[in-house]
Amino acid sequence: MKLMLADYGVGNLHSIRKALELAGAEVEVVSDMSRLLGAKGMVFPGVGAFDATMERLLPVREQVRARLAAGVPALGICIGEQIMFEGSTEGKDPGLGVFPGRVERLPAEMLPHMGWNTVETVDPLFDGLEDHHFYFAHSYYGHPSDDSIVRGTTEYEGRRFPTVFRRYATYGFQFHPEKSGDEGLDLLKHFVAFAEGQQ
Amino acid sequence: MLAKRVIPCLDVKDGKVVKGKSFVNLKDVGYPPDLAAEYSKEGADEVVFLDITATRESRRTVLGLVKETAQKVFVPLTVGGGIRTAEDMHQALLAGADKVSVNSAAVSHPELISECAGRFGRQCVVVAIDAKRTAPGRWEVYTRGGSQPTGIDALKWAAEAEDRGAGEILLTSIDTDGQKDGYDIPLTKAVVDETSVPVIASGGCGSMEHIYQVFAQTDCSAALAASIFHYRECTVGRVHDYLRERGIEVR
Repeated sequence: MKLMLADYGVGNLHSIRKALELAGAEVEVVSDMSRLLGAKGMVFPGVGAFDATMERLLPVREQVRARLAAGVPALGICIGEQIMFEGSTEGKDPGLGVFPGRVERLPAEMLPHMGWNTVETVDPLFDGLEDHHFYFAHSYYGHPSDDSIVRGTTEYEGRRFPTVFRRYATYGFQFHPEKSGDEGLDLLKHFVAFAEGQQ
Repeated sequence: MLAKRVIPCLDVKDGKVVKGKSFVNLKDVGYPPDLAAEYSKEGADEVVFLDITATRESRRTVLGLVKETAQKVFVPLTVGGGIRTAEDMHQALLAGADKVSVNSAAVSHPELISECAGRFGRQCVVVAIDAKRTAPGRWEVYTRGGSQPTGIDALKWAAEAEDRGAGEILLTSIDTDGQKDGYDIPLTKAVVDETSVPVIASGGCGSMEHIYQVFAQTDCSAALAASIFHYRECTVGRVHDYLRERGIEVR
Protein backbone atom coordinates (compact mmCIF):
# COMPACT_ATOMS: atom_id res chain seq x y z
CA MET A 1 0.00 0.00 0.00
CA LYS A 2 1.51 3.28 -1.10
CA LEU A 3 0.62 6.37 0.92
CA MET A 4 1.53 9.92 0.04
CA LEU A 5 2.72 11.96 3.00
CA ALA A 6 2.09 15.70 2.66
CA ASP A 7 5.17 17.81 3.40
CA TYR A 8 3.98 21.34 4.22
CA GLY A 9 7.61 22.46 4.48
CA VAL A 10 7.37 23.42 8.14
CA GLY A 11 8.62 20.48 10.19
CA ASN A 12 10.34 17.11 10.24
CA LEU A 13 8.55 14.00 9.03
CA HIS A 14 11.11 11.43 10.27
CA SER A 15 8.92 9.83 12.93
CA ILE A 16 5.66 9.65 10.98
CA ARG A 17 7.43 8.35 7.89
CA LYS A 18 9.31 5.70 9.82
CA ALA A 19 6.18 4.73 11.79
CA LEU A 20 4.08 4.32 8.61
CA GLU A 21 6.82 2.19 7.09
CA LEU A 22 6.89 0.01 10.20
CA ALA A 23 3.09 -0.24 9.84
CA GLY A 24 3.62 -1.80 6.42
CA ALA A 25 3.08 1.14 4.07
CA GLU A 26 5.28 2.36 1.29
CA VAL A 27 5.63 6.10 1.87
CA GLU A 28 6.19 8.84 -0.67
CA VAL A 29 6.81 12.29 0.77
CA VAL A 30 5.32 14.98 -1.51
CA SER A 31 5.96 18.70 -1.27
CA ASP A 32 4.15 19.48 -4.54
CA MET A 33 0.60 19.14 -3.23
CA SER A 34 -0.93 18.63 -6.69
CA ARG A 35 0.71 15.18 -6.56
CA LEU A 36 -1.80 14.26 -3.86
CA LEU A 37 -4.53 14.23 -6.51
CA GLY A 38 -3.13 10.98 -7.89
CA ALA A 39 -2.67 9.33 -4.47
CA LYS A 40 -4.23 5.99 -3.51
CA GLY A 41 -4.01 7.09 0.11
CA MET A 42 -2.91 10.29 1.86
CA VAL A 43 -1.48 11.17 5.25
CA PHE A 44 -1.52 14.74 6.59
CA PRO A 45 1.03 14.88 9.43
CA GLY A 46 0.82 16.98 12.57
CA VAL A 47 3.48 19.66 12.37
CA GLY A 48 3.15 23.45 12.33
CA ALA A 49 0.36 25.97 12.87
CA PHE A 50 -2.91 26.11 10.90
CA ASP A 51 -2.06 28.72 8.25
CA ALA A 52 1.50 27.45 7.74
CA THR A 53 0.07 23.98 7.19
CA MET A 54 -2.56 25.19 4.69
CA GLU A 55 -0.24 27.44 2.69
CA ARG A 56 0.90 24.88 0.12
CA LEU A 57 -2.49 23.19 0.10
CA LEU A 58 -4.57 26.29 -0.69
CA PRO A 59 -4.11 26.21 -4.50
CA VAL A 60 -5.35 22.58 -4.67
CA ARG A 61 -7.82 22.78 -1.79
CA GLU A 62 -10.95 22.12 -3.87
CA GLN A 63 -9.42 19.23 -5.79
CA VAL A 64 -8.04 17.54 -2.65
CA ARG A 65 -11.45 17.85 -1.01
CA ALA A 66 -13.05 16.28 -4.09
CA ARG A 67 -10.62 13.32 -3.94
CA LEU A 68 -11.38 12.79 -0.25
CA ALA A 69 -15.13 13.11 -0.87
CA ALA A 70 -14.75 10.49 -3.60
CA GLY A 71 -13.48 8.07 -0.97
CA VAL A 72 -9.70 8.10 -1.25
CA PRO A 73 -8.52 6.90 2.18
CA ALA A 74 -6.72 9.52 4.25
CA LEU A 75 -5.46 10.19 7.75
CA GLY A 76 -4.99 13.60 9.34
CA ILE A 77 -2.92 13.80 12.52
CA CYS A 78 -3.24 16.68 15.03
CA ILE A 79 -2.99 19.85 12.89
CA GLY A 80 -3.37 17.53 9.88
CA GLU A 81 -6.76 16.57 11.34
CA GLN A 82 -7.67 20.19 12.16
CA ILE A 83 -7.16 21.32 8.54
CA MET A 84 -9.92 18.88 7.54
CA PHE A 85 -12.40 21.33 9.12
CA GLU A 86 -13.74 24.48 7.44
CA GLY A 87 -11.53 26.88 9.35
CA SER A 88 -9.85 27.64 12.68
CA THR A 89 -9.79 30.40 15.28
CA GLU A 90 -6.01 29.86 15.23
CA GLY A 91 -5.67 31.05 11.64
CA LYS A 92 -7.19 33.06 8.79
CA ASP A 93 -6.99 30.54 5.96
CA PRO A 94 -9.85 28.16 5.18
CA GLY A 95 -9.32 24.47 5.88
CA LEU A 96 -9.99 21.65 3.43
CA GLY A 97 -13.63 21.58 4.54
CA VAL A 98 -13.97 17.80 4.57
CA PHE A 99 -15.23 17.81 8.16
CA PRO A 100 -18.17 20.17 8.84
CA GLY A 101 -17.39 22.62 11.64
CA ARG A 102 -14.51 24.73 12.91
CA VAL A 103 -11.40 24.41 15.03
CA GLU A 104 -11.62 26.18 18.37
CA ARG A 105 -9.51 26.77 21.43
CA LEU A 106 -9.87 23.98 23.95
CA PRO A 107 -11.87 25.22 26.96
CA ALA A 108 -9.37 24.25 29.68
CA GLU A 109 -7.29 25.90 32.37
CA MET A 110 -4.04 24.19 31.59
CA LEU A 111 -2.95 24.43 27.98
CA PRO A 112 -1.49 22.89 25.96
CA HIS A 113 -3.30 19.61 26.66
CA MET A 114 -0.03 17.73 26.72
CA GLY A 115 0.68 14.12 27.51
CA TRP A 116 -0.93 10.67 27.40
CA ASN A 117 -4.69 10.36 27.49
CA THR A 118 -7.28 7.72 26.64
CA VAL A 119 -9.79 7.69 23.78
CA GLU A 120 -13.32 6.39 24.24
CA THR A 121 -14.27 4.84 20.93
CA VAL A 122 -16.04 1.92 19.31
CA ASP A 123 -14.48 2.55 15.90
CA PRO A 124 -13.13 -0.72 14.42
CA LEU A 125 -9.74 0.95 13.80
CA PHE A 126 -9.22 0.82 17.58
CA ASP A 127 -10.04 -2.89 17.98
CA GLY A 128 -7.82 -4.22 20.75
CA LEU A 129 -6.58 -0.73 21.64
CA GLU A 130 -9.60 0.52 23.59
CA ASP A 131 -7.98 1.07 26.97
CA HIS A 132 -4.70 2.49 25.78
CA HIS A 133 -3.26 5.96 26.13
CA PHE A 134 -2.17 8.06 23.16
CA TYR A 135 0.06 11.14 23.09
CA PHE A 136 -1.54 14.58 22.73
CA ALA A 137 0.09 18.04 22.38
CA HIS A 138 -2.39 20.74 21.34
CA SER A 139 -4.40 23.77 22.46
CA TYR A 140 -7.10 23.69 19.74
CA TYR A 141 -9.63 21.02 18.81
CA GLY A 142 -12.07 20.23 16.04
CA HIS A 143 -15.63 21.25 16.91
CA PRO A 144 -17.91 19.56 14.36
CA SER A 145 -21.29 20.98 13.36
CA ASP A 146 -22.41 17.42 12.65
CA ASP A 147 -21.78 14.95 15.48
CA SER A 148 -22.09 11.94 13.20
CA ILE A 149 -18.43 12.37 12.17
CA VAL A 150 -17.23 11.92 15.77
CA ARG A 151 -15.74 8.45 16.30
CA GLY A 152 -13.97 8.96 19.61
CA THR A 153 -13.76 11.34 22.57
CA THR A 154 -11.28 12.18 25.32
CA GLU A 155 -11.79 13.58 28.80
CA TYR A 156 -9.68 16.51 30.01
CA GLU A 157 -10.26 18.62 33.11
CA GLY A 158 -13.67 17.03 33.56
CA ARG A 159 -14.91 17.77 30.03
CA ARG A 160 -15.17 15.44 27.06
CA PHE A 161 -14.14 16.62 23.63
CA PRO A 162 -13.99 14.85 20.25
CA THR A 163 -10.58 13.44 19.28
CA VAL A 164 -11.31 10.90 16.53
CA PHE A 165 -13.27 11.78 13.39
CA ARG A 166 -14.29 10.02 10.21
CA ARG A 167 -16.09 11.15 7.11
CA TYR A 168 -15.90 9.29 3.76
CA ALA A 169 -12.66 7.28 4.15
CA THR A 170 -10.89 10.17 5.88
CA TYR A 171 -9.88 9.68 9.50
CA GLY A 172 -8.70 12.44 11.79
CA PHE A 173 -6.83 11.87 15.08
CA GLN A 174 -6.15 14.71 17.50
CA PHE A 175 -3.31 12.69 19.08
CA HIS A 176 -0.03 11.54 17.54
CA PRO A 177 -0.02 7.78 16.79
CA GLU A 178 3.62 8.06 15.67
CA LYS A 179 4.53 9.27 19.19
CA SER A 180 2.33 6.80 21.04
CA GLY A 181 4.70 3.85 21.39
CA ASP A 182 3.70 0.32 20.33
CA GLU A 183 -0.05 0.99 20.54
CA GLY A 184 0.36 3.95 18.20
CA LEU A 185 2.21 1.74 15.72
CA ASP A 186 -0.59 -0.87 16.01
CA LEU A 187 -3.18 1.80 15.25
CA LEU A 188 -1.23 2.89 12.16
CA LYS A 189 -1.14 -0.78 11.06
CA HIS A 190 -4.92 -0.84 11.35
CA PHE A 191 -5.15 2.33 9.27
CA VAL A 192 -2.88 0.91 6.56
CA ALA A 193 -5.05 -2.24 6.42
CA PHE A 194 -8.17 -0.05 6.22
CA ALA A 195 -6.66 1.99 3.36
CA GLU A 196 -5.80 -1.23 1.54
CA GLY A 197 -9.38 -2.43 1.94
CA GLN A 198 -10.66 0.75 0.25
CA GLN A 199 -8.81 0.08 -3.03
CA MET B 1 -7.94 11.23 32.14
CA LEU B 2 -4.55 12.75 31.41
CA ALA B 3 -1.79 10.52 32.76
CA LYS B 4 1.18 11.71 34.82
CA ARG B 5 4.36 11.38 32.81
CA VAL B 6 7.59 9.68 33.87
CA ILE B 7 10.51 10.98 31.85
CA PRO B 8 14.03 9.59 31.77
CA CYS B 9 16.57 12.33 31.13
CA LEU B 10 19.75 11.78 29.20
CA ASP B 11 22.40 14.34 30.15
CA VAL B 12 24.86 14.22 27.29
CA LYS B 13 28.50 15.27 27.31
CA ASP B 14 30.94 14.57 24.47
CA GLY B 15 28.39 12.28 22.80
CA LYS B 16 27.83 10.12 25.90
CA VAL B 17 25.20 10.02 28.60
CA VAL B 18 26.63 11.16 31.92
CA LYS B 19 25.28 11.68 35.41
CA GLY B 20 26.73 14.01 38.01
CA LYS B 21 25.98 15.58 41.36
CA SER B 22 24.74 19.14 41.08
CA PHE B 23 26.07 19.36 37.52
CA VAL B 24 29.70 18.52 38.45
CA ASN B 25 31.70 15.26 38.90
CA LEU B 26 30.18 13.75 35.79
CA LYS B 27 30.19 9.99 35.28
CA ASP B 28 29.78 8.24 31.92
CA VAL B 29 26.81 5.81 31.73
CA GLY B 30 26.16 5.05 28.06
CA TYR B 31 25.46 5.90 24.41
CA PRO B 32 22.40 8.22 24.03
CA PRO B 33 20.50 6.61 21.12
CA ASP B 34 20.80 3.13 22.70
CA LEU B 35 19.63 4.26 26.13
CA ALA B 36 16.77 6.30 24.65
CA ALA B 37 15.57 3.30 22.61
CA GLU B 38 15.75 1.07 25.68
CA TYR B 39 13.75 3.53 27.79
CA SER B 40 11.18 3.91 25.05
CA LYS B 41 10.74 0.14 24.92
CA GLU B 42 10.36 0.00 28.71
CA GLY B 43 7.47 2.45 28.60
CA ALA B 44 9.04 5.91 29.00
CA ASP B 45 6.35 8.55 28.44
CA GLU B 46 8.88 10.82 26.82
CA VAL B 47 12.64 11.16 26.63
CA VAL B 48 14.61 14.32 27.36
CA PHE B 49 17.99 14.75 25.80
CA LEU B 50 20.11 17.55 27.30
CA ASP B 51 23.47 18.50 25.88
CA ILE B 52 24.70 19.75 29.26
CA THR B 53 28.01 21.16 28.11
CA ALA B 54 26.67 22.98 25.04
CA THR B 55 26.13 26.35 26.67
CA ARG B 56 29.13 26.37 28.92
CA GLU B 57 31.59 25.28 26.28
CA SER B 58 29.93 27.33 23.56
CA ARG B 59 29.07 24.24 21.62
CA ARG B 60 25.90 23.57 19.70
CA THR B 61 23.81 20.48 20.23
CA VAL B 62 25.15 17.42 18.48
CA LEU B 63 22.47 17.15 15.80
CA GLY B 64 23.64 13.83 14.42
CA LEU B 65 23.07 12.18 17.77
CA VAL B 66 19.59 13.73 17.96
CA LYS B 67 18.78 12.39 14.52
CA GLU B 68 19.93 8.88 15.39
CA THR B 69 17.96 8.97 18.66
CA ALA B 70 14.81 10.28 16.97
CA GLN B 71 14.85 7.38 14.48
CA LYS B 72 14.68 4.80 17.26
CA VAL B 73 12.24 6.43 19.62
CA PHE B 74 8.45 6.44 19.06
CA VAL B 75 7.64 8.57 22.07
CA PRO B 76 8.11 12.35 22.24
CA LEU B 77 11.69 13.55 22.34
CA THR B 78 12.72 16.85 23.91
CA VAL B 79 16.10 18.26 23.05
CA GLY B 80 17.96 21.02 24.86
CA GLY B 81 21.37 22.49 25.52
CA GLY B 82 23.03 25.32 23.65
CA ILE B 83 19.86 26.51 21.93
CA ARG B 84 20.49 30.24 21.37
CA THR B 85 18.36 31.27 18.42
CA ALA B 86 15.12 30.34 16.68
CA GLU B 87 17.30 28.87 13.95
CA ASP B 88 18.99 26.57 16.50
CA MET B 89 15.54 25.42 17.53
CA HIS B 90 14.57 24.93 13.90
CA GLN B 91 17.65 22.74 13.33
CA ALA B 92 16.82 20.61 16.39
CA LEU B 93 13.22 20.16 15.17
CA LEU B 94 14.45 19.22 11.70
CA ALA B 95 16.81 16.67 13.28
CA GLY B 96 13.79 14.99 14.85
CA ALA B 97 13.04 16.69 18.17
CA ASP B 98 9.35 17.11 19.04
CA LYS B 99 10.07 19.78 21.62
CA VAL B 100 13.09 21.95 22.25
CA SER B 101 14.09 23.43 25.58
CA VAL B 102 15.74 26.81 26.01
CA ASN B 103 17.40 28.02 29.17
CA SER B 104 20.26 30.56 29.32
CA ALA B 105 19.44 32.20 25.97
CA ALA B 106 15.81 32.71 26.99
CA VAL B 107 16.92 34.46 30.18
CA SER B 108 19.19 36.87 28.33
CA HIS B 109 16.80 37.32 25.38
CA PRO B 110 13.23 36.54 26.58
CA GLU B 111 11.82 37.50 23.15
CA LEU B 112 13.38 34.25 21.88
CA ILE B 113 10.47 32.40 23.54
CA SER B 114 7.79 34.33 21.65
CA GLU B 115 9.72 34.13 18.40
CA CYS B 116 9.98 30.33 18.66
CA ALA B 117 6.37 29.90 19.83
CA GLY B 118 5.20 32.00 16.88
CA ARG B 119 7.24 30.08 14.34
CA PHE B 120 6.91 26.52 15.59
CA GLY B 121 3.88 26.50 17.90
CA ARG B 122 3.99 26.78 21.67
CA GLN B 123 3.60 23.04 22.18
CA CYS B 124 7.21 22.54 21.10
CA VAL B 125 8.74 25.32 23.21
CA VAL B 126 9.97 24.16 26.61
CA VAL B 127 11.52 26.72 28.93
CA ALA B 128 14.03 25.07 31.28
CA ILE B 129 14.50 26.85 34.59
CA ASP B 130 17.31 26.00 37.03
CA ALA B 131 16.42 27.48 40.42
CA LYS B 132 18.20 27.77 43.77
CA ARG B 133 16.61 28.69 47.06
CA THR B 134 17.61 32.06 48.54
CA ALA B 135 15.07 32.34 51.38
CA PRO B 136 11.93 30.46 52.44
CA GLY B 137 9.53 30.68 49.50
CA ARG B 138 12.07 32.44 47.27
CA TRP B 139 14.23 31.02 44.50
CA GLU B 140 16.74 32.55 42.11
CA VAL B 141 17.22 31.60 38.46
CA TYR B 142 20.68 30.27 37.54
CA THR B 143 21.94 29.87 33.98
CA ARG B 144 24.89 28.35 32.15
CA GLY B 145 24.43 24.83 33.48
CA GLY B 146 23.56 26.01 36.98
CA SER B 147 26.79 27.98 37.45
CA GLN B 148 25.64 31.58 36.96
CA PRO B 149 23.33 33.42 39.35
CA THR B 150 21.10 35.94 37.59
CA GLY B 151 19.32 37.80 40.38
CA ILE B 152 16.02 36.91 38.69
CA ASP B 153 13.15 35.58 40.81
CA ALA B 154 12.26 32.06 39.59
CA LEU B 155 8.49 32.44 40.09
CA LYS B 156 8.36 35.72 38.20
CA TRP B 157 10.45 34.22 35.44
CA ALA B 158 8.19 31.17 35.17
CA ALA B 159 5.14 33.43 34.79
CA GLU B 160 6.91 35.58 32.20
CA ALA B 161 8.04 32.52 30.24
CA GLU B 162 4.42 31.36 30.07
CA ASP B 163 3.21 34.80 28.96
CA ARG B 164 5.81 34.85 26.23
CA GLY B 165 4.67 31.51 24.84
CA ALA B 166 6.32 28.64 26.70
CA GLY B 167 4.29 25.46 26.24
CA GLU B 168 5.92 23.70 29.16
CA ILE B 169 8.35 24.39 32.01
CA LEU B 170 11.16 22.02 32.86
CA LEU B 171 11.93 22.96 36.44
CA THR B 172 15.19 21.81 38.03
CA SER B 173 16.06 22.49 41.65
CA ILE B 174 19.79 23.04 42.01
CA ASP B 175 19.43 22.39 45.74
CA THR B 176 18.04 18.86 45.35
CA ASP B 177 19.66 17.86 42.05
CA GLY B 178 21.97 14.89 42.42
CA GLN B 179 21.16 14.45 46.13
CA LYS B 180 18.80 11.49 45.50
CA ASP B 181 16.76 12.69 48.43
CA GLY B 182 13.51 13.59 46.67
CA TYR B 183 12.21 16.39 44.47
CA ASP B 184 12.01 19.98 45.68
CA ILE B 185 8.35 19.95 46.69
CA PRO B 186 8.03 23.63 47.81
CA LEU B 187 9.65 24.92 44.60
CA THR B 188 7.58 22.64 42.36
CA LYS B 189 4.38 23.59 44.15
CA ALA B 190 5.18 27.31 43.91
CA VAL B 191 5.88 27.19 40.17
CA VAL B 192 2.77 25.07 39.46
CA ASP B 193 0.68 27.64 41.39
CA GLU B 194 2.24 30.51 39.47
CA THR B 195 1.62 29.09 35.98
CA SER B 196 -0.99 27.25 33.91
CA VAL B 197 1.27 25.33 31.56
CA PRO B 198 2.50 21.80 32.33
CA VAL B 199 5.44 21.70 34.76
CA ILE B 200 8.03 18.91 34.71
CA ALA B 201 9.65 18.44 38.13
CA SER B 202 13.35 17.67 38.03
CA GLY B 203 16.26 17.21 40.42
CA GLY B 204 16.60 14.87 43.38
CA CYS B 205 14.91 11.64 42.34
CA GLY B 206 16.50 8.67 44.10
CA SER B 207 13.60 6.21 44.19
CA MET B 208 10.11 5.38 42.93
CA GLU B 209 8.77 6.73 46.23
CA HIS B 210 10.15 10.18 45.34
CA ILE B 211 8.23 10.16 42.05
CA TYR B 212 5.07 9.18 43.91
CA GLN B 213 5.61 11.97 46.44
CA VAL B 214 6.02 14.73 43.85
CA PHE B 215 2.77 13.63 42.15
CA ALA B 216 0.92 13.21 45.45
CA GLN B 217 2.08 16.53 46.91
CA THR B 218 2.05 18.81 43.86
CA ASP B 219 0.06 19.21 40.65
CA CYS B 220 3.08 18.88 38.39
CA SER B 221 2.40 17.10 35.08
CA ALA B 222 5.56 15.06 34.83
CA ALA B 223 8.59 13.90 36.79
CA LEU B 224 12.03 13.69 35.28
CA ALA B 225 14.70 11.30 36.55
CA ALA B 226 18.10 10.16 35.40
CA SER B 227 20.21 8.02 37.71
CA ILE B 228 17.52 5.57 38.90
CA PHE B 229 17.08 4.58 35.26
CA HIS B 230 20.72 4.84 34.15
CA TYR B 231 21.96 2.62 36.97
CA ARG B 232 19.12 0.14 36.35
CA GLU B 233 17.73 0.62 39.84
CA CYS B 234 14.30 0.38 38.23
CA THR B 235 12.51 0.67 34.88
CA VAL B 236 9.82 3.15 33.85
CA GLY B 237 7.42 0.19 33.64
CA ARG B 238 8.00 -0.60 37.32
CA VAL B 239 7.54 3.06 38.27
CA HIS B 240 4.22 3.06 36.36
CA ASP B 241 3.03 -0.03 38.26
CA TYR B 242 4.09 1.47 41.58
CA LEU B 243 2.22 4.72 40.86
CA ARG B 244 -0.87 2.92 39.55
CA GLU B 245 -1.10 0.85 42.75
CA ARG B 246 -1.10 4.11 44.70
CA GLY B 247 -3.90 5.68 42.70
CA ILE B 248 -1.88 7.89 40.35
CA GLU B 249 -3.13 7.85 36.73
CA VAL B 250 -0.39 6.58 34.42
CA ARG B 251 -0.50 5.07 30.98
